[in-house]
Amino acid sequence: MQPLIELNAVSRKFGAFTALSDITLSLPPGRIGLLGPNGAGKSTLLKILMGLIPPSSGTGRVLDEELGGDRDTEGNWRLRRLIGFMPEADALVPGLTGVEYVSLAGELYGMPRREATRRAHEVLSYLELEEARYRYVEQYSAGMKQRAKLAQALVHDPPVLLLDEPTSGLDPAGRDAMLRLVKALGTDHGKSVLFSTHLLADVEAVCERVVIMAGGKVRGEGTVAELCARRQGRFRVRVQGELTAFRTALEGAGVKFLGDNGQGELRVAVPNVWSNLTFFQHAETWGVVIRSLLRDDETLEELFLRTVAV
Amino acid sequence: MAQTDTLLRYRPWRGTARGPLYAATALARASLKLLFRHWQAWSLLALSLLVFFFFFYAQYLVVWITNLLATDTVRFAGFPVSVRNITRFFEPLALNGTAHTFGNFIWYQGYVLVIFLAYAGSVLVGSDFSHGSLPFYLSKPIGRWHYVLGKCLAISTLINLLTTVPAILLWVEAGLLDDWQTYYFKQWRLLLGIICYGLVLTVTLTLITVATAVWVRRTVPMAMIWMGLFVLLPMLASSLVATLDDRRWRLIDLWNNLYLCGLSCLRADSATIRPQPQPEFWQAWLVTGTVVSSCVLYLRKRVQAVEIVA
Repeated sequence: MQPLIELNAVSRKFGAFTALSDITLSLPPGRIGLLGPNGAGKSTLLKILMGLIPPSSGTGRVLDEELGGDRDTEGNWRLRRLIGFMPEADALVPGLTGVEYVSLAGELYGMPRREATRRAHEVLSYLELEEARYRYVEQYSAGMKQRAKLAQALVHDPPVLLLDEPTSGLDPAGRDAMLRLVKALGTDHGKSVLFSTHLLADVEAVCERVVIMAGGKVRGEGTVAELCARRQGRFRVRVQGELTAFRTALEGAGVKFLGDNGQGELRVAVPNVWSNLTFFQHAETWGVVIRSLLRDDETLEELFLRTVAV
Repeated sequence: MAQTDTLLRYRPWRGTARGPLYAATALARASLKLLFRHWQAWSLLALSLLVFFFFFYAQYLVVWITNLLATDTVRFAGFPVSVRNITRFFEPLALNGTAHTFGNFIWYQGYVLVIFLAYAGSVLVGSDFSHGSLPFYLSKPIGRWHYVLGKCLAISTLINLLTTVPAILLWVEAGLLDDWQTYYFKQWRLLLGIICYGLVLTVTLTLITVATAVWVRRTVPMAMIWMGLFVLLPMLASSLVATLDDRRWRLIDLWNNLYLCGLSCLRADSATIRPQPQPEFWQAWLVTGTVVSSCVLYLRKRVQAVEIVA
């Protein structure tokens, strides 16, 4: 499968400051979360991917298009036609109606006027702004503004959507609706989504893969499930019965107890050589019933904090 | 959301995208639409039409009076008035189809034009900066200069609508009031001069408008700067010329410089230009060229500093 984004040792310096350092990535098409604290280099990476700034060194591609070169070149314009960008800033044009705003975006992407207008109507209807399309964009609510911004990114039907904090400023209902919409664009319409956010829950709700950045470097990359399961040898054991002797027996077998929620759920780390049968053997010996035994995967938040703290 | 999704399917678009120059024209069209959504724009247009109709009918009236009633008297408020006294009223405007007719028309139209441009600059360019609309434009497959070009096209249309087009109509009228074949054949250079004058006005005023709008962004400060440029500087220039007895001080009057450049395009005799004394044509061209270059340099600096990804 052709990678969506391929970066080979991409670095970007601003004077003495290194914003991106030796980034090598190969991301397949899909819904990808881009996570990182402020100053992690996310914005610089987005700028490079959109052809707004060239990398100081290294090479890369987005689908068929090579990265690099000066900002205002034919190659970078082709690159930007592949991408629908939804900026974090308001980025509306006060005085234009919803349909004029989206239609103008279509024309700026190079669509003929009539097609841009037709497509603006379609996209606004799809995004549930049908009733509001003749209202001025400055009169929209926060949720409608976010959808109008998504509409202008979608109008030319790009294969890649680059969303910068798309749920910023939305109430919980609006946020859920936006996340469902973004997910549907990926699952139902085959769009690849690069989702830059601070909100881990948004990434968990929408993305298949995640890239964690800190200090201008990629600290972790993979599917959400893969990354969270990387913590080997940790389990959550829910037990019923007298725990003291059971715990002592497990400690004797080299098990470390990491937590006890007081309601019979224990978080444990087992030694390198371990068989899960040992849990059941000790349970039988000490008259304890094991109700569940689950791998103690990290949450995305734990993973993020651990990765960023490295 | 799900209901809409089933009713209105997202449809792909597979057309051929046009280049960034097309996007610049779309941007210009949208900008003009935006401007004429404001009643103030229609009021200023009406005011400029008044100036045009005054010249149009006055030119007709002068020819009619001169040809038909040259030696007659008419009764005005019960008193006989020689028609020659009536035409004398129009003499400062030189309504005789010569270079000064068109130069005077554009001079007087300039009063409305500068107010219009101060307003248009804040609506078309200033608001993009103050409302954060720039990421919307600049994340599209266009260069930053295409954005500037789009805005300049809109402002140029406005300038030509108020100056060059009506001046050409006055030239056509002057021909029709005379022996039209002789006039058009002999005075075709005047038409060329009007077009050149229009070009000088377009380039200079467009760049000054965009540059000041990028600088101050809002209508009131824009109006104050334009008042300074087109009202205070001319007054200061006149008093400095009178006090220091040096005609070069008139070069600080930007509108006068444009007038001189225009009259040199119309091949008017410098000795007949009012008020006297006036600097040389080449000096006016030099100052205008310097102003244009400064605006280009300033715009280059400001537009390149815009951050698209926050």
